[in-house]
Amino acid sequence: MAVRWNSEFFIAVEHRDLQANAMAVNNTGTFVLLAGRRYIAIRNLDDIDNDQIKKFPRQSKYEVGSAEWNPTEHHNELCVISSNQRLEVLTWSKGELTQTHSLRAHTRVITDLNWHKTDPNILASCSVDTFIHIWDLRDSRRPSLSLSAIAEATQVRWNNVNNYLLATAHDGDVKLWDQRKGTAPIQYISAHLSKIHGLDWSPSSETYLATSSQDCTVKFFDTNNPRRPDSVLSTNAPVWRARFTPFGNGLVTVVVPQLRRGENSLLLWNTDNRGTPVHTFIGHRDVVLEFEWRQPKTNDNDFQLVTWSKDQTLLVWKIDPFLQKLCGHEPEDTTGEDIMEELTKTSSMKIQPLQQEFSLLNVHIPNLDVIKMDVNKRTCTVRVECNKGTALIQVTFPNTYPHGVPPIFQIAQGSTIDNSLSNQILQTLNHVAQQRVIKNRTCLEPCLRQLVATIEQCNSDSVENKSQFEMNYIETNMFGTFNNTYIPFPRTSGAKFCSVSLLVCFGRAIPPRRANNKVDTPTPRALSALGSNYGSKPRSNSTVTVSSYYYQKPRRSQGQGRHIKAYVVVYDGSNLFFVNKQLGEKYILDGDVGTICKYNANVASTVGRLDLVQAWTLAELVVSPQQAEEDMQWTEHPFGTQLMQSLITYYASQSDIQMAAMLCCIFGKEQETASARKSSLKQFLIPGLLAAGKRWHKSGGSPYHTIPPADVVAEGWVFPLLKSTRSSSLDNLRIEEYVPLPPPKNQGSNLYEYYKLAYAEILHRWGLLYNRAEVLKYMCTPSEQYRGIQFTTECQTCLKSSQSCSCNSCKKLTFNCIICHVSVRGSANCCVICGHGGHTLHMQQWFAKNKICPSGCGCYCLAETAGMFN
Amino acid sequence: MVSVLNTIDTGHEDMIHDAEIDYYGLRLATCSSDNSVKIYDIKNGAHTLLDDLKGHFGPVWQIAWSHPKFGNLLASCSYDRKVIIWKEMQGKWNKYYEYANHDSSVNSVQFAPPEFGLILACGSSDGSISILTYQNETNTWDAKKIPNAHAIGCNAVSWCPAITPEPAFNNTQAQPLVKRLVSGGCDNLVKIWREDGDRWVEENKLEVHSDWVRDVAWAPSVGLNRHVIASCSQDRRVIIWTSDDCQSWNSTVLQTFDDVVWNVSWSLNGNILAVSGGDNKITLWKQSLEGSWQCISDVSKGQGQLTANEQRAL
Repeated sequence: MAVRWNSEFFIAVEHRDLQANAMAVNNTGTFVLLAGRRYIAIRNLDDIDNDQIKKFPRQSKYEVGSAEWNPTEHHNELCVISSNQRLEVLTWSKGELTQTHSLRAHTRVITDLNWHKTDPNILASCSVDTFIHIWDLRDSRRPSLSLSAIAEATQVRWNNVNNYLLATAHDGDVKLWDQRKGTAPIQYISAHLSKIHGLDWSPSSETYLATSSQDCTVKFFDTNNPRRPDSVLSTNAPVWRARFTPFGNGLVTVVVPQLRRGENSLLLWNTDNRGTPVHTFIGHRDVVLEFEWRQPKTNDNDFQLVTWSKDQTLLVWKIDPFLQKLCGHEPEDTTGEDIMEELTKTSSMKIQPLQQEFSLLNVHIPNLDVIKMDVNKRTCTVRVECNKGTALIQVTFPNTYPHGVPPIFQIAQGSTIDNSLSNQILQTLNHVAQQRVIKNRTCLEPCLRQLVATIEQCNSDSVENKSQFEMNYIETNMFGTFNNTYIPFPRTSGAKFCSVSLLVCFGRAIPPRRANNKVDTPTPRALSALGSNYGSKPRSNSTVTVSSYYYQKPRRSQGQGRHIKAYVVVYDGSNLFFVNKQLGEKYILDGDVGTICKYNANVASTVGRLDLVQAWTLAELVVSPQQAEEDMQWTEHPFGTQLMQSLITYYASQSDIQMAAMLCCIFGKEQETASARKSSLKQFLIPGLLAAGKRWHKSGGSPYHTIPPADVVAEGWVFPLLKSTRSSSLDNLRIEEYVPLPPPKNQGSNLYEYYKLAYAEILHRWGLLYNRAEVLKYMCTPSEQYRGIQFTTECQTCLKSSQSCSCNSCKKLTFNCIICHVSVRGSANCCVICGHGGHTLHMQQWFAKNKICPSGCGCYCLAETAGMFN
Repeated sequence: MVSVLNTIDTGHEDMIHDAEIDYYGLRLATCSSDNSVKIYDIKNGAHTLLDDLKGHFGPVWQIAWSHPKFGNLLASCSYDRKVIIWKEMQGKWNKYYEYANHDSSVNSVQFAPPEFGLILACGSSDGSISILTYQNETNTWDAKKIPNAHAIGCNAVSWCPAITPEPAFNNTQAQPLVKRLVSGGCDNLVKIWREDGDRWVEENKLEVHSDWVRDVAWAPSVGLNRHVIASCSQDRRVIIWTSDDCQSWNSTVLQTFDDVVWNVSWSLNGNILAVSGGDNKITLWKQSLEGSWQCISDVSKGQGQLTANEQRAL
């Protein structure tokens, strides 16, 4: 036997040996009966000091199903227990328990029994055998009335008001019976889809009952309107019992015993507010088997809940007056209540927001301890420390909080701060709270943060603060200070990399922090740390600014002459990076590859980058054709390509974008032999030969052509009539003639493009536009998807259309000039309407004099085309 | 390792909250609690005040320069809940656009990579992120809002560099660029947003920080097909997030500092990270070839000396 004490339950007895699974409390609440297979025990609850129980051995092979003490005064010595198919009526007198009646009529196990509420001799029992028997103890041989219900009954309950009415539960249905009309139920309620575990009538209403079910709900029915539940209470577990409280409109629920998930608490609800329980009775270590109410002194508001659990402990819970109030019960006299209870009494149930607020409260506020949070009393006590002492602040939440009503702040006993500071704190808190609750927002956390900020400020401004504070407090706020809690504390130092290698730094001048207590505290996270008056009336002398947080009191004596040293320092971080502006300026990319490498190696040596000299020399050796083997290019050499690639990869991984990009350019450039490249470049530069594709792609078929396609496209569309063979033929060439380079690593070459692009951007930032253009020439930009009219020519022999001037399959030139009848290779113009055209020069000459098409088709080409483009 | 190039006495009457140099490294903009934004010419070691922009009615938290291809634009955001975009016209800076559609302090502004066009992202303490897009045709700014991006408030935004998921330099079909941005807020989260059609969707939620996230920075990516984000927080930590596909992110704690960390900034190459925080110190971090992060420099020492010298001079 062990006794545990807790503020909530004042009697706790453990009876391991009883193995009882039924419990009953007599009508005066004095005795409790515990019944199991082996013992029946009776304990006096009024006699707290005496832990003794009276045990009566009971030799039976059946468990006790249920037990109940007669609720009437006349026969309050009687109690009844069910044992399999039998009911045993026991009499408790003079400390002895004797069996007086044995009621047998059921043919199957009895599931439930219930004494009549007012008639001391009447008792109802129900069983799996589908019968509900009503017994009169004056004739115990047979039931006085038997009700046949077809389905097995699990619960039976007499109505608390109407003496004739009783309700029984059958699986998911409820049947109502009138004992005067015994043949059939008078009412039938299809209550739940799952099994009903518990049934209870309202203590005051004749027509109101509650059913608790496996489907995790408690449903409330008005028997006048049985089709639909009056209301539903949803929980997250199957409900074993749901019983009304004898006071107010409360309800107590327990979960199904089989469900051993550690949920051993009883929940107290207010039936008017079914969202969350009003209270949770925590204490049992195993499921609660039975609970009953007890009222030690009649006509008193001292209600107690007696619970018996599978852990074989009996707990008696005191239901505090405030809990009763939460259930809507209003005791007649309130004596010795504190202010809080006065407040709670006045209004309806608004407990949920507060409970939620408490649970969401971040209690890790520096310098602040939350001592106590009591949802039920709607109070919260916090302690803050400052150099002037300790402040204990009690916050009381009225019931209507936070809907326009701010909580009440009080400096509690035990505070050691002086009056002026406490006034100041209270003023600030009220102000912040008011700001929040006006918008129906909760305010506890902002208030607490503000409190800490205020205290901190008082710590620092210990000399002159009051006048300033009060003044600002009265001033209307420009932006409202309440949300400063969520605005991050301003940065007062920082570093940013800008442009290519500049590092811009700003920070606080020395001395960075005041010498006093602030050194150890971490930097606050929110702007509210600066005090509630931050942001109000900008630039007034007394405004708290960020600087005042860090420095001594702004020297007001100096007036406007106060100067904060706001420096920005620009650092040259170029030594941190491998990219070098000087190199960028001097590197060349035009000319023979070998010459480029040699030249760039020299450049690197003048800058002092000997490592790069080596790399360039190596690149030169790799890239330039070997004298001995004139025919063999380095790309065909087993080591050449790989060496170049690994060089590029190395520099890229070092973030030396400059070197990586330069090598990429050279690498790409080298694909063409130097001489061929030169000739191709010349061809490109002569516009008339631009479309001479054949010759061009003889020159190596490199994807890295040297003219940015943007230029080509632009040139090609200077005149809308110009036949656009250039850019498209170029594209075709690239696709068709693309000779995969020895290791065609697509991914790698894409990266190379990025390197070039990144280097071009760096050059751009340096303002080296010429060098940037040089690099961009090596870019292999994606050919732009052509959108618009496209001219195609049709081969006269193959009848296939082609976008270039020669047929794709037979390679014959496909397009003849309408004037000179010679095949067109270079620039051409066509009429969009009739399709006739030819050499640009010829067309130009023709249309200088004529308006009509040279073919004689009668088309007014110029006018028609102009009309079309308009 | 770093040498002082220029020391500018900004003449701000209160603490400086941000400073940034433009694309070419020629102009410096600073913003302060004295509600002003100042622009200096710092070419060749000079520091000439070009303009003192007064338009905000609260402390100015952050500034951002645009890419010069859109002209000389400067965005600033303030405690007064406004974002102002300033434009230089004939040497004078004027208010070009003012955005006042936030309900609380605007803490962060950042221009998108120029490849996307002229776009500005703003993060505010009202929890939302605004994306302001300049419409060339109509000469207007179009505002899109990500409501409730961060519960309580958004403290920082940073754009993902403009690189295509599958780079396509050789293919004829260029793939569209995906706009992404990263944000950090008071809900201790780092979130990654992707533009999906005309909406912004939350692509990822990175949850390691244990206090407010103060700054986020998406590293410039130089070809390396890898995304790196740095985030710093009130929890005194800097976390480096890496991902190959923008879907799964790995986190590495760079360091737990002595005080809260306010700023992270990547170098243009994306290989050096500058970190600064409440302790007034600036440290530079570089990833070694093995992948570990090393502190390579402590700028604050130099700065401290410098400030002391300056004080003597004054």
